[in-house]
Amino acid sequence: MSVFRDQEEKVVEEVNSYLSFKLDNEFFALDVKKVIEIIEVPHITSVPLSPSYMSGIINLRGKVLPLIDTKVKFGLEPVEYTIDTCIIVIEIKVEDEVIQVGTLVDQVLEVIEIGKSHIQPSPTIEAKYPLEYIQGMFRKDDNFIMLVSLEKVFSIDEVYFMQDTNDNEQEQLDSKA
Amino acid sequence: MSNLRDIYLEEAEDLFKKMEESLLLLEKSPGDSDVLVADVFRSMHTLKGSSGMFGSVKVADFVHHLETIYDKVRSGEALLSKQIIDYTFKSLDLLKKIVLDPELKNTSNKEEYETLKNEVINLLDTVESQEALLIVKDSIESKVTYHIQFKPNENLFLNGTNPLLLIDELSDLGEARVFPRFDERIVDNSFEPKKSYVTWDVFLVKSKGIDPIKDVFIFVEDDSIIDINEIAEYDLLNQDSFIKEISGRSYSDRSIDPEDLKKIVEQLQPEEGNLNDKTEISAEESVEELPTFKNRVSETFKIKKATSTIRVPTVKLDELMNLVSELVTTQASLSLYTDKKEEDDLQTITESIEKLTRQLRDTAFGMTLIQVESLFNRFQRVLRDLSSQLGKEVDFLTEGGDTELDKRVIENVSDPLLHLIRNSLDHGIESKEERVKKGKPENGYIMLRSYYSGTKVFIEIEDDGKGIDPEKIREKAIERGIISKSDVLTREEIYDLIFTPGFSLAKDVTDISGRGVGMDVVRRNIHDLRGDIKVHSEIDRGTVITLGLPITLSVIDGLLIKVSNTDFIVPLMEVERCYKINRNEYVNKFNQLVMVEGEQLPFVDLRRVFNYDLDGDREEEYIVIVQNRGLKIAIAVDKIEGEYQAVLKPVGKYFKEQQFISGATILGDGTMALVLDAYKIIEQKELKYKRAII
Repeated sequence: MSVFRDQEEKVVEEVNSYLSFKLDNEFFALDVKKVIEIIEVPHITSVPLSPSYMSGIINLRGKVLPLIDTKVKFGLEPVEYTIDTCIIVIEIKVEDEVIQVGTLVDQVLEVIEIGKSHIQPSPTIEAKYPLEYIQGMFRKDDNFIMLVSLEKVFSIDEVYFMQDTNDNEQEQLDSKA
Repeated sequence: MSNLRDIYLEEAEDLFKKMEESLLLLEKSPGDSDVLVADVFRSMHTLKGSSGMFGSVKVADFVHHLETIYDKVRSGEALLSKQIIDYTFKSLDLLKKIVLDPELKNTSNKEEYETLKNEVINLLDTVESQEALLIVKDSIESKVTYHIQFKPNENLFLNGTNPLLLIDELSDLGEARVFPRFDERIVDNSFEPKKSYVTWDVFLVKSKGIDPIKDVFIFVEDDSIIDINEIAEYDLLNQDSFIKEISGRSYSDRSIDPEDLKKIVEQLQPEEGNLNDKTEISAEESVEELPTFKNRVSETFKIKKATSTIRVPTVKLDELMNLVSELVTTQASLSLYTDKKEEDDLQTITESIEKLTRQLRDTAFGMTLIQVESLFNRFQRVLRDLSSQLGKEVDFLTEGGDTELDKRVIENVSDPLLHLIRNSLDHGIESKEERVKKGKPENGYIMLRSYYSGTKVFIEIEDDGKGIDPEKIREKAIERGIISKSDVLTREEIYDLIFTPGFSLAKDVTDISGRGVGMDVVRRNIHDLRGDIKVHSEIDRGTVITLGLPITLSVIDGLLIKVSNTDFIVPLMEVERCYKINRNEYVNKFNQLVMVEGEQLPFVDLRRVFNYDLDGDREEEYIVIVQNRGLKIAIAVDKIEGEYQAVLKPVGKYFKEQQFISGATILGDGTMALVLDAYKIIEQKELKYKRAII
């Protein structure tokens, strides 16, 4: 009996579900518990003078959903809208407040269940994107899938960082005028 | 049970507030004290009752002693001294704590409770041992009873006069008893329904003076019989025997003629004669008189209680607000659909729905607005305590207390405001001696002013203190390394330095302020509300700090415009006029000015400001003249779509720095439009101007 329970607990403890998606040709995944829903790309209203990775806002059933172009955030080219382009709506905590935010991705793939032991620490390979955004990686079939650290990507510091970027833009604008 | 306790706490909070308000008024104008004292007494009584019910026996016990004091005051056995008021304030502060700590688990609460309670009991003793000074209020002393006989002309109705209104008006003058009597003809055959057969006998108790009574009848005096007599120099109506006598007569056929009345009054006279002559009354007799006074007071209660308000949980209000917002959005979709259909009937229905929605919206949102008054009242108390603590005499003035603000804004602006007021009092207003030396009046003042402008509410804190010396700020800022010596700053920019974290001008850190942690927090709080803060000061003249706050009516009337395929809303309140212009003809690109009807206006091209594509020949475009706080500016846009009721939704933390956008709204087709804060744009433009000039 006790042996069974031990095994059972192990199973519950170790397996997490991740939603995998594609940016360019790379595979990424994020904790499925943070995902509220996946939606098609509606009309996006861009907000002028905002940081380049802020795509704008959309109407999510009467609420304003800020939209982040994950690719720009990761230092890639902006998302090009295709039939596969999706918005993953996630819920994160920013400055003690739980907010919803949409992340633009090239394609949503599947939900993967994977044991903790299969996840390796962040890659030390050449840094194509800011490594602090990646909390680990795992192998699935022939692909490496990178686990996105949402807390890092949308952390408080990150919000300040966003502000700074904007200030710079503002200054540029001022100097132009 | 916990639910009941919540209700109790809520009620207690209300009562504390009420008592404080009344006490402050009492302090200011002891003249009309009887109603106020009664108010305080009643609040105490209610508090005692409910405290007893909800387990706060200590509170009930304490209040009981206070109540006894006020009962004495109310009945005129004791004088309401400053000492009593001071103790009451102290007690209220303590009670506020004890209400939350009914078992007195906190030892400091317990100690304070015991000492204060003893003090109050002592106070009660002194009050009691005082030679029970009778203060029958002026208003009562000079009460006089009038008898008015009013027999209108038979044809009164033909003029359209309603005699009942006159009687009503008469009873408003004081306490009245009205006895109608009918002419005998009313029962025989000659009765004509269009004629008046009534004679009224009115016994009116009011302060001396016959003119107001005469005024009532000013339009009918020519053809009616009006007889006004003063029948007693005191209140006859509280003499039961008199009432009995009169009511007995009024229903009989006999008219009440003045002669009879005299006799009746004379019969009563010896019994109550002493009432007239207060110098002769001893203390004991005055106690006998007490019941009458009580009756009067309890009647005042009844009238005051009749104000009809109900408590609604804020959750329900929020829910209502959400529904209204949804309705407004849905209505917009309907309008859009209707416009496409070109059907007259549909058009009519849509228009009436639009009208109704608008009304519903305004009513619903009006409910969440609170008058700034409530905030101001809270500060009165603080100022009173602080000024006596600092030994400064300060008049607290308010203006525009009826300005309404969203509940959430009020809640969040309270602390920053309090901080600013404390600063004014502590650092702004000088000591008495200093003021006299400067040739200023001994009493300083702090003025809170509130007013609307555009979609904003402004709150100003003004004092006539010593002002802030910009040079001192500069020195301090250089000393702290905030600015360098070579920096050239405008006056406004210098004052802005006050809000830098860690900046303080105060030499000494006092109990009240001076640690330099305040102003930056104040500014941050105001910014969080999407408001702004400005300082204007003149040395030895005073300081004015102005807060600009959004009313945050979640729905606004806006003008929908388009710039480079993005929809924007400009609050309609800020829009002055719109023009279609030929770009090349009117816009002088060099100095960014546009001529409109002979007026030169600064000009903002939204395409340029927002880094949009400047290409694409736009031969025709529109300019919208917006004004805010007396500043005017022309904004060039691609297209004007029309009016739109916008449900303001916050754009969230990610766009905190995009201050020129005050929110977003959903359009009829489900897409979003950005709401522009015209003021921010104007301000930005202003700033650029100044820079250019420098």
